Amino acid sequence: MVRAGAKAGLLGGAVLLYAAAVGMLVRLDELHLVGTQVTLGRVLLVLPPFVAAFLAVRPRVVGGRVEQPGPPAALAIGALAGGVTGAVGAGGLALVDAIGLDRVRSVFVAVSPALVETMTFGRGLGLGAAILVLGGLGLGAVGGIWRRVRHGLRRPVEVGLLTVFVLGMLQRVVPFMLDELRIERDWLYSRVTRGLTWVGAVVVLVVATAAAAYVLDRRERHGRAPLEEGRPEVRGVRRLVLAGIVVAFFAALPQLAGSIVSEIMGTVGVFLLLALGLNIVTGYAGMLHLGFSAFFLLGAYSIALLTGANLVTAFGLVAPRFSAHLDFYVALVLVVLIGAAVGALLAAPVLRLRGDYLAIVTLAFAQIAVILATSSWLQPITGGPQGLRDVTKAPLLGIGFRSAENFYYLVLVACVLAVYVSWRLAWSRTGRAWNAMREDEQVAEAMGVPTGRYKMLGFAIGGAIGAIGGAMFAVKVGTVQPGSFEIIQSITILAVVILGGLGSVPGVVLGALVLLGLPGLLTQLEEYRFLIYGASLVAIMILRPQGLIPNVRRMRELQEEERTQDAWQQIFAARQEEEAAEGATEAAS
Amino acid sequence: MSPLLEVAGLSKRFGGLAALDGLDLHVEEGEIVSVIGPNGAGKSTLFNVVTGLYPPDDGDIRFAGRSIVGLPPHQITKLGVARTFQTVHLFPNMTVLENAMVGQHCRTRSGVFGAILQLPSTRREERMVREKARAALGFFGPRLAGYRQEQPAFVLSYANRRRLEIARALATEPRLILLDEPTAGMNPRETLEMRDHIVRMRDELGLTVVVIEHDMRVVKGVSDRVIACDYGRKIAEGTYEEVAHDPHVIEAYLGKRAVG
Amino acid sequence: MSQEARTTRTLGRFERLPTRRIVLVALSIGIATAVAYGSYRTLTLPAGQRYSGSAWRDFLVLGVAQGAVYALIALGYTLVYGILRMINFAHGEVFMAGAFGSFFFADAWERSGFLDRRPVLAVLLLVLLAMAVSVTVAVLLERIAYRPLRGAPRLVPLITAIGASLFLQNTFRGLFGAQTRGYPKPTALEGTWSILGIPVQRVQVLVLVVAAAAMVVLTQFVSRTKTGKSMRAAAEDQEIAALMGIDVDRVIVTTFVLGGMLAGIAGVLFALTFGNISYFMGFAPGITAFTAAVLGGIGSISGAAIGGLVIGVLQSIGPALLLTGIHVPSPFQLKDVVTFLILILVLLFRPGGILGTGEVEKV
Repeated sequence: MVRAGAKAGLLGGAVLLYAAAVGMLVRLDELHLVGTQVTLGRVLLVLPPFVAAFLAVRPRVVGGRVEQPGPPAALAIGALAGGVTGAVGAGGLALVDAIGLDRVRSVFVAVSPALVETMTFGRGLGLGAAILVLGGLGLGAVGGIWRRVRHGLRRPVEVGLLTVFVLGMLQRVVPFMLDELRIERDWLYSRVTRGLTWVGAVVVLVVATAAAAYVLDRRERHGRAPLEEGRPEVRGVRRLVLAGIVVAFFAALPQLAGSIVSEIMGTVGVFLLLALGLNIVTGYAGMLHLGFSAFFLLGAYSIALLTGANLVTAFGLVAPRFSAHLDFYVALVLVVLIGAAVGALLAAPVLRLRGDYLAIVTLAFAQIAVILATSSWLQPITGGPQGLRDVTKAPLLGIGFRSAENFYYLVLVACVLAVYVSWRLAWSRTGRAWNAMREDEQVAEAMGVPTGRYKMLGFAIGGAIGAIGGAMFAVKVGTVQPGSFEIIQSITILAVVILGGLGSVPGVVLGALVLLGLPGLLTQLEEYRFLIYGASLVAIMILRPQGLIPNVRRMRELQEEERTQDAWQQIFAARQEEEAAEGATEAAS
Repeated sequence: MSPLLEVAGLSKRFGGLAALDGLDLHVEEGEIVSVIGPNGAGKSTLFNVVTGLYPPDDGDIRFAGRSIVGLPPHQITKLGVARTFQTVHLFPNMTVLENAMVGQHCRTRSGVFGAILQLPSTRREERMVREKARAALGFFGPRLAGYRQEQPAFVLSYANRRRLEIARALATEPRLILLDEPTAGMNPRETLEMRDHIVRMRDELGLTVVVIEHDMRVVKGVSDRVIACDYGRKIAEGTYEEVAHDPHVIEAYLGKRAVG
Repeated sequence: MSQEARTTRTLGRFERLPTRRIVLVALSIGIATAVAYGSYRTLTLPAGQRYSGSAWRDFLVLGVAQGAVYALIALGYTLVYGILRMINFAHGEVFMAGAFGSFFFADAWERSGFLDRRPVLAVLLLVLLAMAVSVTVAVLLERIAYRPLRGAPRLVPLITAIGASLFLQNTFRGLFGAQTRGYPKPTALEGTWSILGIPVQRVQVLVLVVAAAAMVVLTQFVSRTKTGKSMRAAAEDQEIAALMGIDVDRVIVTTFVLGGMLAGIAGVLFALTFGNISYFMGFAPGITAFTAAVLGGIGSISGAAIGGLVIGVLQSIGPALLLTGIHVPSPFQLKDVVTFLILILVLLFRPGGILGTGEVEKV
C-alpha cells in the first residue's frame, strides 16, 4: 500500500511536470474560474496530488479479497501520494533553478519565469517549494479519505463543485445570456476577471449541492431516478419533449448569447454535422473512416467551383478552368450527389479489407485529396495553396447566410435534419443491417445481408454529409483553402464521435459541444485542443470504450437487467403466495 | 423430381489439408438428412462451402436445379438456404427480436429513403417484418416470447441462444435449413426437445433439413436418411440402421479391429 | 410460421454479375495503361526537356537512400505487427522523437565545434542519443497505451494509436515549440564521394551504410539469439509461446525497443539528409514506411526492408517518370500521392504484400 502511494505520487508528479513543461500551467492560468485566485491553471496544479491520492487508496483485489485501507491508513497514504507529487514538482523547480532557467528555456520553451511564478504561487523558490510539498500533503490527505466520505455527502459535493467548474468554463456564454434575459449578473460573474465571483461561486455550490442531494435522496428512497420512471411510451414522449427543449434552446442562442458566440457555434455546428455523418459510418455501420476530411474538402471546393468562386493568383482574381455559376441550392444538390458518388467509389475497392487497413486507406485517400488540392498541377482549378475566394453567400429569398446569426440558423437546420436522418436510419431495416454487420460481418452476410452494398451505402451517406458540411463551411468562411482540410479535421471529428459514444447521437452532440465548443470559446484552451483530443482518445479507449453517453442499447441493457430481476421477484413472490394459499386450502380440506 | 440440394465431387483444401475430398450427396425436398462423422471429417466445411462462405476448389453445388457455386452468401440465403453455426454466432448487443428481424432482411426491400421519409410502404414492411420475426421466435413456444424479445441477446441462456439462432435462420423463410450440431452442449431434456423441433420444421413448416449431429438419439429420431463422412468423403449412406452397422462407419469412429 | 407455397426464389440480373472482379480488372488495365503512357511520354520528350542519364541515376541513388530510411522505420511497424497484430500508428512519432532528442545535442555540438572536429564520434553519439529517446517513447507507448488493450478488437488499439500519435506530436510542440528547426550537418558530410564512378552524396553513403548495418544486426539478432527466437515464437502464436515458458510481456517490450532503436537511427539519418526537424515530421514518413511494410508483406522483416527500398525508389523515380511527360508542373509535390496510391493498390490486389501469401485475409 505504501508502495502504491509512492508510485501514485510519482505518477502525479510526472503529470504535474508535464503540464508545466508543455506550457499548460501558464497558459491556463490566464483563465479565471472563481475570483482572481482560482484559475484553470491553479486547478491543474491542485488536481494531481488529489487524484494521485484518490487512486492510491482505491480498493484492490488481493488474493481473492477486496482490500481497502482503513481511514487512518488512507489518510496517511493519501498524504504520502500527495506529498510525493508536490515534492516532484518542487524538485523540478529546484532542478531548473540549479541548471539555470535560461539554459533550460533554450530547450524547453515553456519553462519561463511566469511558470516559476505560477508554480510557487508567487512566493519565490524556497517558500514555493514548501507550499507545493505541504499543499500536496494536505490535498493528498483529503484525496485519500475522500472515498470514505459517506456517499450521500460526497456525491452532491462533487456535483456542486463540477457545476461551479462548468459555469466557470462557460464564462463566455452564460453572462451574455443573463444580460439578454435582463437578469442581474454582476453578483455571479465578475466583469474584471470574466470568471465567477466568490459570492456567485459559493451560491452556485450550495444550490447545486443541495439539488444533487435531493435527487440522490429521492433515488435511494424510490429505487430509480425520477426521469427514468414510466412506461416506454411515456419515456418516448418525454425524450421527444427533451429534444424539443434542446432544439428551442439552441434556436434561441444567438439572441441570448450574442454574435461572437453565434459565430463560434456556427463553426461548431459544421463540425457537428460532420461528426453526425461519421457517426453513421463508424457508429452505425462500424467502419472506421479516417478520411472524412476529404469529403469536407470535396464539398467545399465543389460548391465554390459550382457557384462561381475565383482563384487567387499572383495576378489577382481569375476564374478557374472549370466553373459554373449556379444557384447555391441547386449546386448543393449536385454537391450531395458528388459526395455520395465519391464516397461509394472510395468504398468499392476496399470493401473486403479488414477494419484497420480500411481505416488507413481512408486516411491515405484524405491525404491524397489535400495534396492534390494544394498541388501546382491542379492550381488552375483549385487555386493551389491560396485556394479560392468569393464563395457565394448562399442567398435564399434575399437573405444572405454569411452573417454569423444567419449562418448559425442554416447550420442548426442542417444539424437537426442530420439528427432526424440518423434517428430514422438507426431504427430502420438499413440500421438493422448495419448493426448486424458491425456485430459480426460474416454471420450477417450468411443471414442474407449484402454487406458489400451496405458498406458502400454507409460510405456514400457519409460522403454526402461530409460534402454538405464542406459546402456550408465554404459559405461561412467565404474562401476555400486547402489548409482548412487537413487530416487533423478527420481525427478531430473522430475524437468527438468516440468521446460521445459510437452510435449515440446525443453523445455526439455533447461531445461536439465539449471538444469543439469549449476550445472555440476559450482561447486558452484552443492552443491545447489537439493535445486534449489525443489524450482523451487514448483515455477513452483504455477506460471506457463506449464514450460519455453510451448507446441507448447498452444503457437499456443495464436497466432491463434490473427490470427483469424485479419481474422475477414479483413472479417468485406471487408463486410463494399461491403455494401458501394452496397449502392453506389443503390443510383446510 | 430433381433433388433440392445436390453436391457433386466437392473438394476444398486448406493449405495441405483436404477438408472436403470429392464429396457427393443429394437431399430431396421434404427430407430430413443427418450428416455424421468423426470430428474433422469436413462436415462444417460442407456447410460453409454450400452457403458460400468459402469457394470450393472443385465440384458443383446445385440448389433447386441451379448451380450456386461462386455466389456470395447473402444471395444463397436469398435463394432459400439458411444455416446455423457450430458455435453460436448471434448478434450479442441486438435484442432477441432484432436478431430475428435481421433474418427477414433478404425478404424485404425498403431502403434509406423509405426510412427517412417514413413511407407507408416502409411502415407496412416494418410491421410485417416484426410479425414474421415474432412468428419465427414463436416456433419455440414461450421460451423466446414476451418480454424476453426486448432483451439483448447476450443475456440468454445457452439453450435459448441456440434456439434464437435457429429462429433467426427460420426468419429468412428458407426452403432448406442446415443445422450445425444444434444440440451441442444441451442437457438431455433440451436435446429431446430439439429433436422434436427438427421434425416439426419438416412437418409444420415444410422445410428440408440437413443436420450435422453427434448425438445418435437425435439422428435416430429425426432422420429419413443418414450420410456418414470421413476425411471429406462420403463413406456410407442409408437409413439409420443401415449406416449404424456399416463397417466403414464403425471403423471411422472406433478404429480398425486389432488383428488377433 | 406461414405455410404459403414456396415460390422459386431467383436473383435479379444485376445480382449475378461478379462486380468486384470486373472493377478490379478494369482498374488494373487502367493503371497499367496510365503507367505505360506516362513513362512513354516522359522518355520520348524532346532532348532539351528530357532527363539525362545522370539525372535518372541521381534519382535512383536518392531513392535508395530514402528507401533505406523508410526501411528502418518500416521494420518497426512490421515487428510490432508481427507480434501484436496491430498497426502502431504512433511509430512515426517515435521516429520524430529520436530526431528531436538528438537535435539539441547536435545543435550544441555544432556551436562548440565538436560536430566538425570529431564528426564520426559526434554522429555516433547522436545516433545513440536518438535511440535512447526513441526507445523511451516506444516503451512508454507500449506500457501506457497498448498493454491495457491486449486482446481488444483490432480497431481499439488503432484508435488509441492515433490518439497517442496526436498526443505525442503536440507534446513535442508544447515542449519544444512549433517552429521547424535546422538540423546541423557536419562539414565532413557535405559534398559527394565517388563510388564506382557515381557521385553519391556523402550523407547518402552514411545512410546506406548505417541502415545496412542496422538491418544485418537485426536479422542476426532475430535469427540467432534466444530473444530473437522468442520473438518469432510469440509472433507465431502468443498463447503457445507463453505455455512454452516465454515471457510474452518481455518479448513484446523487446520488440518495441528494437523498433524504437531503428526508428531513432532513422531519425538522425533523416535529419542529416533533409536538414530540418519539426514536431509533425513523423507523419508522412510514418505512413510511407507503413506502406513499405505492407508492400513487402507486413510481419516479414525482409519484406519491410525490400518494401522500404522499393517505395523509396518509386517515390523518387515515379513522379519524374510518370508525370513529367504529360507536363504536370512540379511533379515531386505529388510523391506522396504515388505512395498512397501504391498502398491502396497493394491492399486491393495483394494484401499479403510482395513476399506474402497472396491470400486475402478475411475480416
